Amino acid sequence: MDAPVIEIRDLTKVYRMGEVEVRALKGVNLLVQRGEFVAIMGPSGSGKSTLMNIVGCLDRPTAGSYLLDGIDVSRLDRDGRAEIRNAKIGFVFQSFNLLPRTRATENIELPLLYSDLGLSSAERNRRARASLARVGLAGREDHYPSQLSGGQQQRVAIARALVTDPAILLADEPTGNLDSHTSEEIMAIFQELNDAGKTVILITHDTDVASAASRQIHLRDGRIADLTGLAA
Amino acid sequence: MSLIELVRLAFGRLRTSRLRAALTMLGVIIGVASVVALVGVGQGTTANITSRLAGLGTNLLTINPANGSAGMTLDDVAAIGKIDGVAAVAPELQTSATVAVGTKNTSTSVIGTNSSYAFVRAYNVWQGTFLNDASDDNNLRTVVLGSTVADNLGLDASAVGTQVTINGLPFQVIGITQPKGGSGFNDPDDQVMVPVGVVRKYFVAGDTVRTVGVSVASVDQMADVKASIEALLRDRHDLAATASDDFSILDQSQLLDTANSIAGTLALLLGGIASISLIVGGIGIMNIMLVSVRERTREIGIRKAVGARSRDILAQFLIEALTLSLIGGLIGIVIGLGASAGIARLGGWTFVVSPTIVALAVLFSLAVGVIFGVWPARQAARLDPISALRWE
Repeated sequence: MDAPVIEIRDLTKVYRMGEVEVRALKGVNLLVQRGEFVAIMGPSGSGKSTLMNIVGCLDRPTAGSYLLDGIDVSRLDRDGRAEIRNAKIGFVFQSFNLLPRTRATENIELPLLYSDLGLSSAERNRRARASLARVGLAGREDHYPSQLSGGQQQRVAIARALVTDPAILLADEPTGNLDSHTSEEIMAIFQELNDAGKTVILITHDTDVASAASRQIHLRDGRIADLTGLAA
Repeated sequence: MSLIELVRLAFGRLRTSRLRAALTMLGVIIGVASVVALVGVGQGTTANITSRLAGLGTNLLTINPANGSAGMTLDDVAAIGKIDGVAAVAPELQTSATVAVGTKNTSTSVIGTNSSYAFVRAYNVWQGTFLNDASDDNNLRTVVLGSTVADNLGLDASAVGTQVTINGLPFQVIGITQPKGGSGFNDPDDQVMVPVGVVRKYFVAGDTVRTVGVSVASVDQMADVKASIEALLRDRHDLAATASDDFSILDQSQLLDTANSIAGTLALLLGGIASISLIVGGIGIMNIMLVSVRERTREIGIRKAVGARSRDILAQFLIEALTLSLIGGLIGIVIGLGASAGIARLGGWTFVVSPTIVALAVLFSLAVGVIFGVWPARQAARLDPISALRWE
């Protein structure tokens, strides 16, 4: 069997706010296998965002180890994490986070511009178009975010996350800004991608959305509440 | 991210905020334009002075009285003429007078001198002859007109042999000089030359002249001749060994050096003042870049989330600042060169595009972009991606 794509051991995160220490994560263990569709759930203040930031290599843990795709990323510096984010992680945010006044394909090309692959602009454009077609938006290549609906913008964001063929898709409340019908469409895309073998990690507080995942992990007070989190 | 991508990005950004970019560049444009124009004018002036001084005469020494002293007598002049190495010597007794012919008149300088003046001061006769020994010795009321005076009076070649009046006295025109050129404050062609004895007889009292021009036979003898003249004049003026000279001797190269150093200092001063506006322009760039970093915090967060390293963000904002300053600088260079060409036209010297100035101006505007762009760019590069993404 393949090594797990995410292997987190005894992860703690302590924020220091002046004199006060806030222990956001108090020893989290988490294994995610390749091709899994995992939902991380929990009320606000549970450490959900902190865990997402660490899983997404936006932040680093105070203690514990984190292997992403076999690489120990828990001690990497800022630039090292940036390179890992670029190569291994595809982000999908609640508020889409597309660059305004920038065409759909140019938004999707963005991670390729920062990659070490050294692709030609023609090749970048080809991959961006392919990625856009994969989320069902072929024909909207030259549209600006302001010309797209919320659901379409989120599809562009998913296309951007996919363009580097990352090890994991990390979606933070991807349907939080969408109506229920559009939400279903977006969840269907994640489902399709997972069916095609992509590892998807979903952070949400919405049980309906989380039900799309094959496994749900509940965070409470900085710890994983449900023992299923350790299943592996 | 490659440099080409960064430049493309910077230009795209400038296109989306044209007015802001234009106003930001304006500071650099004004700064670079004024530096280029003023340095250009400085160089033009220097070149102009050099060429004019070269046109003053060959191996010229000019003797002037020191402050408060009377000057040189004509006997002094004659004695100087006998010094070894002196090719020619000409007294110059200057006054101003009205020269008239028919209904036309012009106010000009009258130089009382001798036949050597044309050689000493490098004038060429265009029509007729210059003053000669006969006119000198006999104090004939003859006059040689400078070309500007001839023009002002409407006289041409046919005027040689006719009469003009100087302060009402009739003089016979024996020649007209070729124009030496030059314009501005001191036109060397706006003067008439008459025998020195005539000036003393009719226009200026006393028996001294204010200026003596000496032409030295060869440039190697300049220092020797200068020393000889000094010794001679001290002796003739009965100066005690401790007394200071009651005259001063200027040689051409000294004049040239002085004039050049004044022009150089002036250009440096003006350039210095102008570069203050370049600094102000740089502060404008820094200001707008800081605003831009703040406005685009979320964009920076997005870029970092998808894998931009700190140096990618630093390069992006630095290239943007450099683009602003460089475009501003190039526009400034064009305007500055245009302005110095215009001033050269007004000042009557030839305008030369100095590649050094252009290169320096490009370098300066690059420096402004780097110096004032690096701090905002560092601010951007240091942003934490998590809080940048949350920025509204």
